[in-house]
Amino acid sequence: MVVELLLEIAGKTVKNAAEKGVSQAQAIVFLIDKALTRFANSQVHQNVAIRDGGILVKVVLDDKRIGVFRISTLEEVEIRSAVDQAIKVAKATQPSEDFKSLPEPEPWTAIEGAFDKETASCMPEYHAQKVKEAIETAHSKSPIVKAVAGYISTNSISFAVANSLGVSSSAHLTTAGMKTTVISEKNGSEGFGTAEKYSRRVGDINPTVLAEDAAEKSVKSVNPVKISAGEYEVVLSPLAVGTICGNLAYIGFSARSFQEGRSFVKYHLNKQVFDEKLNLKDDARDPRTLYALPVDGEGVPKKTLHLIKNGVVSEESICYDSFMAGRENKKSTGHSLPPLVMMYYDVPLPINMIVEPGDSNLEEMINETKMGIFVTFLHYTNPVEHTKAVLTGLTRDGTFLIRNGELTKPIVNMRFTDTMLSALNEIPLIGRNLEIVEGATVPPMKLKKLRFVGISRY
Amino acid sequence: MWEDLGRLALEQASKLGASYADVRISRILVDNITVKNGMPEIVALSQSKAFGVRTMVNGAWGFASSVEIGKEEIRRTVERSVSIAKASAMLKRKDVILTEEKVEQDKYSTPIKKDPFEVPLEEKLEILVRAERLLAEQSPLIKTSYSYYNAFRENKLFMSTEGAEIEQQITWCGGGFMGIAAKNGEIQIRSFPASFGGNFSTNGYEFFQSLALIEHAKEKGQELAKLFKAEKCPSGEMDVIVTGEQLALQIHESSGHPTELDRVMGTEADFAGTSFLTPEKLRKFMYGSKHVNLVADATTPGGLGTSGYDDEGTKAKKVHLIKEGLFTGYQSSRETAAELNLGESSGGMRADSPLSLPLIRMTNINLLPGDWKKEEIIEDTKDGILVMTSLSWSIDDKRINFQFGTEIGWRIRKGNKEEMLKNPTYMSVTPQFWGSCDAVSKDDWKMWGYRDCGKGMPSQLMYVGHGCSTARFRNVRVGIMR
Repeated sequence: MVVELLLEIAGKTVKNAAEKGVSQAQAIVFLIDKALTRFANSQVHQNVAIRDGGILVKVVLDDKRIGVFRISTLEEVEIRSAVDQAIKVAKATQPSEDFKSLPEPEPWTAIEGAFDKETASCMPEYHAQKVKEAIETAHSKSPIVKAVAGYISTNSISFAVANSLGVSSSAHLTTAGMKTTVISEKNGSEGFGTAEKYSRRVGDINPTVLAEDAAEKSVKSVNPVKISAGEYEVVLSPLAVGTICGNLAYIGFSARSFQEGRSFVKYHLNKQVFDEKLNLKDDARDPRTLYALPVDGEGVPKKTLHLIKNGVVSEESICYDSFMAGRENKKSTGHSLPPLVMMYYDVPLPINMIVEPGDSNLEEMINETKMGIFVTFLHYTNPVEHTKAVLTGLTRDGTFLIRNGELTKPIVNMRFTDTMLSALNEIPLIGRNLEIVEGATVPPMKLKKLRFVGISRY
Repeated sequence: MWEDLGRLALEQASKLGASYADVRISRILVDNITVKNGMPEIVALSQSKAFGVRTMVNGAWGFASSVEIGKEEIRRTVERSVSIAKASAMLKRKDVILTEEKVEQDKYSTPIKKDPFEVPLEEKLEILVRAERLLAEQSPLIKTSYSYYNAFRENKLFMSTEGAEIEQQITWCGGGFMGIAAKNGEIQIRSFPASFGGNFSTNGYEFFQSLALIEHAKEKGQELAKLFKAEKCPSGEMDVIVTGEQLALQIHESSGHPTELDRVMGTEADFAGTSFLTPEKLRKFMYGSKHVNLVADATTPGGLGTSGYDDEGTKAKKVHLIKEGLFTGYQSSRETAAELNLGESSGGMRADSPLSLPLIRMTNINLLPGDWKKEEIIEDTKDGILVMTSLSWSIDDKRINFQFGTEIGWRIRKGNKEEMLKNPTYMSVTPQFWGSCDAVSKDDWKMWGYRDCGKGMPSQLMYVGHGCSTARFRNVRVGIMR
C-alpha cells in the first residue's frame, strides 16, 4: 500500500530529526497522480498526466524557532538532507511566541469509500471515450450547437503525516470531475450553457446528462436581452451557491481572517445574520462531500464544524490549524490544508462544506418567482469588503429572466455587487437535492434579493 | 547528466511514433519568508526537481510529467505521454501544426549582482521585522501587519526533437509589507510597494534592497490610520487618475488576458473564458485612444516575465499588442500562431514548473510611457479622483466588463490633490475605458511584478510583469458601493 510506505518515510524522517536534537518535528509526505483531459471547439486540446510528490519537513527548536524545508523527492539521502536544511533554517530564524506546539496524537479512522480503484487507474482512452460522448450528445441536441468545451479529471491523492509527539496519520482518496460547456450560435448571437459533476468515483459521472443539461441552457441562451441593473429576486443553481459558499469560507470562516479582524464573523458573533433556514456545516466524514479526508495536513482528525447554524455565526464557525489555534490557546479543528496541489498552504479553510437541504426544487423556485433572474454560474467572484461580506462577480453560462413563474428569455450577463449579509438574509426556498461543487455540497436556492450594478456589454 | 536524460526521452518518444517531442527538466528553489506582528510566521525553503515530456502523435498532443527523475521513470513517462497523445488523436478535428521557429542551442541567465540564495536569512529577517514593526507602531488601530520576502530560481533545460537545446537560469526576488487596521468593524488596508506581497523582479537581492521597506513603513502606517477619517469615494462619473501599481492590474486583466490567443481560440471557454478581441478585429479595431501603446515584451530588463526563451524554445521578443490605440497583435504559441497564419509565435508559452504543460502566459505586458509628468496630469484635472494600490478586482469571461477597488484615493479638484478617499471603486467596459485615456505619464514608469497569475487546469501560478506609469481616464463610473 502506498500510504503505508509514505507513513514509514514520514516516521523515519521525524525520527531522524529527533536524533539531531530538535524539540519537535513533523513530516508530511505525499504522492499525487493527476490525469486531466481538456476539450474545446469539440476536440481534445490538452491531455496531461502529472505525478507530483515530496516531503515537507518542519522542525522546532527549544526556543520556538521553526524551520520548514520542502523537497519533491522521496529519496532517502535527499530526505536526510531536507532535515538538515530545515534545522539550518530554524537556527537562522527568530522565535515565534505564537507557536505553542505541534498537534498531539488523537484517535482517527480511515473513511470507507474514500478511494476508488477504477478512478485511480483511469486510462487516457477512458477519458477520450467520455469526452466523445459529451461532444456527440451536445451536437445532437441542436444544429445551432457550435462548439463543446470542458474537461474530465481523475485524481489519486495519498499523504501521510508523522510528528515527534506521536501523530501518525494518513489519507488515501480519489476524486473525479467533469465539466461541459456548450456554445451555440444563431444569427451571430452566441449562447452559453454549462454543467458540472464531481464524485469520488469516475463511474458516477455521466457525460450524456451533463452535455444535455449544458446544451439545453446554451441553445436557450442565444439572442439575450438586456434588462436594467437593480435588485432582483434570484434563483441560484448549485454552481452559483457553491461559489458564494467558497467566498464566505475564505473571507469569514478561516482563523487567518478572523485573527486579522477581516472576517465578517468577528463582528456578528452569535447573531442571526443569515436566514434562519440556512445551515452550513463542514464535515469531511459526510459521504456527500468530495474530499474524503479523515485527517488534515497536520494529521489532526477533521472536526465537524457548524459554520452557520440556523442563520447564526459564532466562534464555533472558525477553522483552525494548530499554529493559529495556539495563538488563541485553542485546539486545532483539523483544517490545515493537505497537499492537494503544488503550493504552500498557510490558511486553514473548510473544504467539506455542506448546506442543509430544504424541501424545494428548482421548478418550484421558478414557479414561485414573479420577476427574477435564474443564475447558472457566477464568474470571477471576489470579495470587495471582507467585514461586510461584500462580493462582486458576473453571471455566466446561462442567465435567464423569470416572469410569472416561468423562464422567459435569456438575458445579457450582469454584474452583482452586494453584501451577502443582506443577500442571504432572506432565502425563501432551499432545494432538497444537493450537488457537489468541489469544496462544497449545496442545493439550489432562491434569494429574495440580489443587487446587480451593471450589465455586460459586448 | 540532464542532457543525457533529455536525449533518452526524445529518442524514446520518436521510437514510439512521436512526430515531435520536447522535454523540460528543471530544478526550482524557492525562499519564502513572512513576518507577522513582529514574529516570523513562515520561514520555508523548497527545492523541487521534475521533468515533463510533450509529444505529438498522429497530429495531437500528449503530456506527462513526474518528480522522479531517473531513466526508468523517463521511459514510463514518455510512454504515458505518447499513449495520451494517441487518445487525443481519437478526438481531433485537424492536425496540430507548428510555426517554423529558429532552432536554438543557447544559454541564458538572469543578470544579477547579489545572489538572493547566498544572503543570510538573518539579514532578510532583520529588514522584514524592522519594516513590519515600524508600520505597526504608527497607530494602535493597526491590529495586524505582515512583511514578505520571496526569492525564486529555476535552472531548466529545454530539448526538442527539432534539435533545440536551451539552458536557462531564471532568478527573481522581492517583497513588501501590508498593514490591516480595524475600528468599530471597519477595516482598512495599506500595502507597499504594491498589493499581492509587494513587488518582484528578475534581479538579484539588490532589487529587494532597493524597495527600501523600512524607509517607507512610517508613511504607509500613517496613511493607513488616516483612512478611517477619510471621505467615502463619491458616486458618479468623473475622471480617474490611476497610478502604476493599480494600472498594472488593470493592464493585466483588461489588456493581458484578452490578447492571449488560446483564450481567443476558445480553449479556455470552459474555465477562464474567451475574449472580445476576436481575430476579425486584428489591425481593424480601436482598442483605446492614440495614447495607448501596449507591448508583450519578454526582454524588458528586470521584468518578472523576462527570460531568454519561452518553454517551447522561442527566443524572447517584443510584440506590439496595441499601437496608438489600434489592436495589432496577440500573445501566441507556435500552434496558435500557425492556426491564425501569424507567421511566428510571440514567445508566450510558459509553465510554472516542468510538471505543468506550457500555456500562453503573459511575459511582460507594458503600457509604453506617454509625454506627461504625473504632476502635470493631476494639475490638468478639474474634477476627478486619483486611485492607488489594488484591493479588489473582477472582470467578465470576455474581459470587457470590469470592476476594481483600491486601498486609497484622493479627490482632485481644479488641479489640486485634496481630501483622502477610502474604499474607491470604479467600473467600466474595456475599449470604452482605454478609449477614454487621454494622458500617460513618463516620469514614474516602472516595472511591476505579480507572482501569482492563475490560469489553466490543473491550475498554474505564473510570474508576470507589467511596465506602466500613471494614466488618466475620462468620465469613468466611480463609487460603486452604496
